[in-house]
Amino acid sequence: MTQFHKSDIVVDGVRVQVFQAGEGKPLVYFHGAGAARGFDELLPLAQGHRLIVPIHPGFGGSDDDLRINTVLDYVVHYATLFDQLGLGEPVDLVGHSLGGWIASLFAIFQGHRVRRLALACPAGLRVPEHPSADLFMIPPDKLPSYLVAAPAVLAAMTTGEVTVDMKVARYREITSLARVIWERNYDPKLDRWLKRIAQPTLILWGEQDRVIPVQQARQWADRLASEPQVTTFDGVGHLVFVETSGATRRVASFLNGGS
Amino acid sequence: MSVLDRLQFYLMHFMPYPDVVPDRPQGQWVDIPNTHFDPEKGHKLYKDYLDELVLGDALGYDALVVNEHHSTFYSLMPSCSIIAGALIARTRQARICVFGTPITLTYPHRLAEEYAMLDVMSGGRLECAFPLGTGMEYWVNPLNPSHARERFRESMDVLMQAWTQPGPTRFDGEFYHYKYLNPFPLPYQKPHPKIYVVGSGTEDTVQYAAEKGFGYSQVFTPIAAQLKSFENYRATAAKHGHTPDSESIIISAIPYVAETEAKAIEEGRDHILFYFKNLLRTSDQMNSPPGYLPADRLRRRLEAGVFQSSEITWEALTSVYRTVLGTPDQVAERIAFWCEQAQSSRIVVHLHTGDMPHWKAVKNITLFAEEVIPRLRRKVSPKLKAAE
Repeated sequence: MTQFHKSDIVVDGVRVQVFQAGEGKPLVYFHGAGAARGFDELLPLAQGHRLIVPIHPGFGGSDDDLRINTVLDYVVHYATLFDQLGLGEPVDLVGHSLGGWIASLFAIFQGHRVRRLALACPAGLRVPEHPSADLFMIPPDKLPSYLVAAPAVLAAMTTGEVTVDMKVARYREITSLARVIWERNYDPKLDRWLKRIAQPTLILWGEQDRVIPVQQARQWADRLASEPQVTTFDGVGHLVFVETSGATRRVASFLNGGS
Repeated sequence: MSVLDRLQFYLMHFMPYPDVVPDRPQGQWVDIPNTHFDPEKGHKLYKDYLDELVLGDALGYDALVVNEHHSTFYSLMPSCSIIAGALIARTRQARICVFGTPITLTYPHRLAEEYAMLDVMSGGRLECAFPLGTGMEYWVNPLNPSHARERFRESMDVLMQAWTQPGPTRFDGEFYHYKYLNPFPLPYQKPHPKIYVVGSGTEDTVQYAAEKGFGYSQVFTPIAAQLKSFENYRATAAKHGHTPDSESIIISAIPYVAETEAKAIEEGRDHILFYFKNLLRTSDQMNSPPGYLPADRLRRRLEAGVFQSSEITWEALTSVYRTVLGTPDQVAERIAFWCEQAQSSRIVVHLHTGDMPHWKAVKNITLFAEEVIPRLRRKVSPKLKAAE
């Protein structure tokens, strides 16, 4: 299987890391609020695509950008990064969780740069009947059980020593997340704005997602102008791509025009 | 001249609610069920606690100190200005110290107004100290911990502009915009009451206080770490053209005075341990919300090992905190040593601690005032005399 090639670029004065694999039409993936695990589970998407996973400022191997304190700041960051990567033609865009929120705003404000859109358990919508968990409130030792549902995956995530380096890295990432969404993990305006999304859209969700409940999938689908397809996965939690290879297969078939 | 020649005694109260809920690893903060609060008990506690501070005024303490915490049995003072207002009406001499409302938890112009009210009402008896607020406050107030330090500094800029520039003025910041910054009344003292910054030793807070020419006061942290902060403070202040003196730094201590050392230990020890084991106890998660600590400070804290106040022993406690239980002579000796060691002439004493009953607090406050303070006021050691 192909591997990621990692490179650094400087966007608006801040060094960020970009994972890339494969060749073909560009497919950009906006990750969620953690980059420590890497993204090997996405490599099947590099089949026939140039898969690009930019690491958000404040996460993983990218430097901090303290000026970023709204999701829209990420959209501006990515508009610039797209320019620098020479992504002139519309790309396929996939976003997971926080990355789904960024991707949806990117589709709203930079719609001409998006060909097809896949949102995996996106954050950002206020759904009072099925609210998203507040990640900041979850005790660190309980976090894995919120992120994944499959017992084997959970066991793999909870073994091994948690080092000081890992704790500091996690604190840095959750600080970056707090800058953007401590006050509230949704944007009340998103409800109105989502109807601006007209690109063909796929929505994926783990049915056992404890961070953003699967019931929110219908709320997203009802708001987008593009009448999205919705696929849910039984036995799968929030880290939908980690837990089932079915998720990348579904995205691949959607991007290739399948239903 | 020795710092001992101009010692000032600050009688401080935390006003705890002592009926703690057992078996809570995360302690008595943030998510402590408030259904445990009994208003009749609370009423009695406010009365006793205010009486203890008012007694301090009558006994000649230089200052009475109150502070502020939220959603915790640690403190019955979610607004220290209200307690200060009650104290002003019942006291004559002592300075009233609000040490204080975390300015980030309120509108800065509103705090400028409230503190100015207190200063005018008291005829210029107010002193202010500005804390960032513990990490725990950020879970129970609608405030983002990841930019707490930036907001703190801007808030202080608003307050200082409000107090020192003739109003109305305009303010355009990252967090606040004021069309007419024009607080009324203004402080009684000119240009403004004495200002301290309260910190836990984080370097950039120490430097901030020193750069701005504010005083500095450090919360309960090991003595060695405090002394290092004070050194850093003095060096930075000097670099910025300020001349810190023995009043620029406030230290704190927990003394208990009795007829004999054995009696002091018997009467005082368990209440002090109660404070550290039960009231100060919290969880790492609550104590360090995201971004509240700079990452390098979190790393140092993790590498040093987690401080588990629930497991603290008396021996460990007395070796790192300023705790002394004994006769007036013994207590006076320790206090003199600590003040000289830190080159500070201002010492906060916690004479009610933890679940201490009213009678013991009254005894401790009285003995300290009548037996310890006079010993210290007289105390100029032969060695120091010779040096002069």
